[in-house]
Amino acid sequence: MIEINLVVNEKPYTLNVEPSERLIDALRNRLGLLGTKEGCGEGECGACTVIMDGKTVNSCLVLAAQANGSVITTIEGVGNRRSPHPVQKAFVEVGAVQCGFCTPGMVLSAKNLLDRNLKPSETEIGIAMSGNLCRCTGYDKILRAVKIAAEEGAK
Amino acid sequence: MKKRGIGLGCSWYGTGYGNGFPDVSSAFVEIHDDGSATVLTGAVDVGQGSNSIFAQIVAEELGLESQDICVYSGDTDATPDSGTTAATRQTYNTGNAVLKAVRQAKSSLLDYAAHKFSCPTTEGIELKNGSIGVKGDPSRQMPLADMVFQARLAGERFISAESSTARSTPVDPETGQGAPYWPYAFGCQSAEVEVDTETGMVRVLKVVAVHDVGKALNPTQVEGQIAGGVTQGIGFALLEELELHEGKIKNPALSSYLIPTALDVPNIEALYVEDAECTGPFGAKGLGEPAMLPTVAAIINAIDDAVGVRITSLPATPEKILQALAEKKRGGEC
Ligand code: FES
Ligand code: FES
Repeated sequence: MIEINLVVNEKPYTLNVEPSERLIDALRNRLGLLGTKEGCGEGECGACTVIMDGKTVNSCLVLAAQANGSVITTIEGVGNRRSPHPVQKAFVEVGAVQCGFCTPGMVLSAKNLLDRNLKPSETEIGIAMSGNLCRCTGYDKILRAVKIAAEEGAK
Repeated sequence: MKKRGIGLGCSWYGTGYGNGFPDVSSAFVEIHDDGSATVLTGAVDVGQGSNSIFAQIVAEELGLESQDICVYSGDTDATPDSGTTAATRQTYNTGNAVLKAVRQAKSSLLDYAAHKFSCPTTEGIELKNGSIGVKGDPSRQMPLADMVFQARLAGERFISAESSTARSTPVDPETGQGAPYWPYAFGCQSAEVEVDTETGMVRVLKVVAVHDVGKALNPTQVEGQIAGGVTQGIGFALLEELELHEGKIKNPALSSYLIPTALDVPNIEALYVEDAECTGPFGAKGLGEPAMLPTVAAIINAIDDAVGVRITSLPATPEKILQALAEKKRGGEC
C-alpha cells in the first residue's frame, strides 16, 4: 500500500492505495465519487475525465499513486442542482444530455477549456471536446451548449 | 485531389415488433392528493427520453406540468412489462399505454368531481393549471390536490392499470398481403462529402435530415435523436466494422472499433415534418432507428457523385475507395 495525499473538490484526503490502483477506482471506490464514469478503461472514450492540476486526464489511465500531491476536480465539484455551472446550465437548456453517461466527462472537458480560454473558436471547442465520445447526441447540441456557455461566460 | 459530391437517401421503417407478434406495453398511473401523479412502466429510458415523454403525456391529460409527474421505469420488481426499448416503439407503444392509463384514472376523478360540483356530466369538468373545476364557472374551481385529498378522505383513489397492443398482422407468404408493421416512419436525408482521391479519405461536410415523426411531443428530443442517428449513420457508412472470427468479435474495444468523435461530425440540420399519426399518443410515432438509415445511403451516393465509384460494402473505408478508384482507372467495372 502506498500513502498518498491529494485534494479532491477542494477537500484534502490521505489515502492508502494499492500500487496498481487506478485513479478512477480510488475516486469511485474509496471516495464514493460515482459521477466519474468508466466507459472503455483504455483511454479512448473520456467518460472518466477529471481535471488534475489544471489539465483534463483520463482517470482510467492515471495511477492513484501518480496523483499524489495533486489537485483534482471531479464532476461532483462542478456546480450542483441548485447552482449549476454555466456549462451545466447550457447543457440542460440546449438538451445536450441523452443517456448522460458521457456528460460528466463532457462537462469537465468544456469547463477546463473555458477556464483557460474565455473565447474559444468553434474549432477550438471541437478539438477540446474530441477526446470525449458520445454515442447518443451526435455532438451537435453538446458543441452548441459549450458555445453558449462560452458566450455567457464572456459577457 | 479533393472532390465534392452530394447524395440523397430515403427510408421507410416499420416500427414495433411487427408481423403479428404481440406488441404489448403496460402502465400504472396514480393521481395523488398533493396534486402530482406517478406513472410506472417497464419501458427503459436509455437516453432517448421516454421518461420525459410519459411525464408530458400524463401532465397534458391532467392539466399539470411535467415536473409534477414522477416516472418510475424499468424496475422488474415493481413496474409492469412494457416490452423492450427496441424497434423504435416506446414513444408510440408505451406512450399509448400511459395515455390509456392516465385517461382511466382521470375518468374516475372526473366522475368524483362532477358529483362534488353537482355537475350533471363529466363533460363540464376541466383540469387546467393544477386546478379542477366546472368549465366557465370561476366559482366552482379548486386545486386538483384538494379535490384528490377530499376524495381520499372519502375512500376514493384514482389508480389505473392499462395496456396497449399495437396492431399488426403477419404477411401472407402466398399473396404478400398483410399489415406487418404499424405505424411506419419516413425520412429523407442529403449529405455533402469531400473525397480525397490520393488517400481515399471521406469527410462529411454537411447533412440535412428530415423525418416524419407524426407529432413532435418534444422537439428538443426529436432534434437530438436525429443528430444522434445521423452520427451513428456516419459511423456505419465510414468507420464501424464489427470484425468476427469464428463467431468471436475481434475488435471489441473503442481503440479498434472506431466511432465518430466531435471532429468527425459535420453541421447537421435536423428537421422534422409533422403529420399526426392518428393511432399514436397525441399523434406521435417513433423516430429512434429511422434517423440513422438514410444517412448511409446519402453518404455512399455522395461518394459516387464526387468520384464516380460505387461502394457496395460497408464501411466505405479509404482502402475500398482507393481500390475502386484504381479499378475505375483501369477501365474495370466498379
Ligand atoms: S474509461 Fe477512461 S477513457 Fe474510457
Ligand atoms: S449522452 Fe449518451 S453517450 Fe453521450
